[in-house]
Amino acid sequence: MNDVNSAILDPDIGWTILAVFSVIWIWLGWFWGRKAKHLDDFMLAGRNVGMALGIATAMATWVTSNTTMVAPQLAFQLGIWGMLGYSLGSVGLMLFAPMARRIRQLLPHGFTSGDFIRLRYGPWTWRLFLVISLVYAIGWLISLGMAGGVLIHALTGIEYQYGMSVILTICVVYTMLGGLRAVIGTDFIQTILILVGAVTLAILTINFVGFETMHENLLEQRPELLNLLMPAAIMFLFNNLLFGVGEIFHSNVWWSRAFAFRKDVGFRAYLIAGIFWVPIPVVAGFIALAAPSLGLNVPAADMVGPMVAAKLLGVGGAILVFIIVFSALASSLDSLLAATSDLVLQDIYRGHINPQAKDEQLRRMAKMIILLLGVVTWLICLPRISTLASLLHFMGAFVASTIWPIIAGLYWKRANAYGAFIAMAAGTAVGLWSYFAIGFYVAALVSAAVSMSVVLISAALSNNHFAWEQLNQPREGGT
Amino acid sequence: MTASVGFLSSIILIAVGMAMLSPIILLYLWVKDRKSKKLW
Repeated sequence: MNDVNSAILDPDIGWTILAVFSVIWIWLGWFWGRKAKHLDDFMLAGRNVGMALGIATAMATWVTSNTTMVAPQLAFQLGIWGMLGYSLGSVGLMLFAPMARRIRQLLPHGFTSGDFIRLRYGPWTWRLFLVISLVYAIGWLISLGMAGGVLIHALTGIEYQYGMSVILTICVVYTMLGGLRAVIGTDFIQTILILVGAVTLAILTINFVGFETMHENLLEQRPELLNLLMPAAIMFLFNNLLFGVGEIFHSNVWWSRAFAFRKDVGFRAYLIAGIFWVPIPVVAGFIALAAPSLGLNVPAADMVGPMVAAKLLGVGGAILVFIIVFSALASSLDSLLAATSDLVLQDIYRGHINPQAKDEQLRRMAKMIILLLGVVTWLICLPRISTLASLLHFMGAFVASTIWPIIAGLYWKRANAYGAFIAMAAGTAVGLWSYFAIGFYVAALVSAAVSMSVVLISAALSNNHFAWEQLNQPREGGT
Repeated sequence: MTASVGFLSSIILIAVGMAMLSPIILLYLWVKDRKSKKLW
């Protein structure tokens, strides 16, 4: 760890950067939030988001601290296919593009992914979907909170608990102040910071180490990382593709944006965001392949990214990495807080507890729920439970089970409630079994395969002819 | 089958090139949306 300790930022510099960005994000949250007069403004940014902000928010949300931290870890563990496999996460964004357009057409009054499942498949499938969605959302929030604490500690020496608490507090405050408008506005700035920072870091790594040296040292010390036929890595590649697709297709983070974008924006925004996202895991991840050339002794795989950056770039570079990581964390945490609070508000509070709640009451509740989610995440993150990648892949079994019920539900009239329910339940159960029995790299794969079989068989055997007009229903009581 | 240095460097250089272009395009689109009052 001496290599890290000699190059990390002074904690005072770390606190200063945190303070400066906190003031900026919170002020922007207040500035954009003051225009939110109605529930649509707060939850969906007025349903009028344009192309530039649309692309940036989709990109920034998908560039998480997991991208900047787990991409190097996967490159270090699974080699070339590790980072390329991570890049396939972009396929989910691209495949969601036509769905975003269809979601906007079919549900012009929709608020959440739960609205669609409720109207399309009825109350029991909706409830099961909510469990899966909320487990995933909390899991992702925990993974982001933990990543925040770990990275801030690795780069500045600030204690894990303090760093995690600060990043979580900042995101909770500005999301409470500005809702989705604040989230999308800050996402644009954060996307530019992440891209410029990651490219700068990559260029410096190439200049400092060089491809020849990197390749030579890998061949000598870690030849398996250059193996293009590494079985676990190839399984990971397909698993990650399905995991990404499952995450995006079901999560309200992406559905809320489909509702928030202008009518003609959703398709192109998601497609372009997917294309722009492809290189990011490679740019962020390949620096881990420089570890053998730098003679780094990596104590834990999830530390390899910050260690290489700190070793290579010294104080100036560490500030750069810190800003990238801070932006990546904030851009995803805020989106997840906003989208999860929407889900809790619309589908649990309004759907189960108070269906007649009025606009003003719902806006107040939305803020309370954001605060509550922040507190729950903080409590779970306090002890450092698991490595980030294993926590992330544990969720693969859950989310991949929702892919087929959602696709079939959006495009196929014969898809039905029984099939969707059994597909989600059986896919999750068998996926979890395979996670423990075989390995993390097959959980999403198995879950999606089981779920697909159930959906296809049940739809083929069904006489269901769903009327799409049933999805075009304004929710009563809210406004 | 082991990746050659050419393969490794090609993947990385293409990725870095793409990542360099995207913020430029985003800023261009932002200016365009702002001019046409379609930012949000």
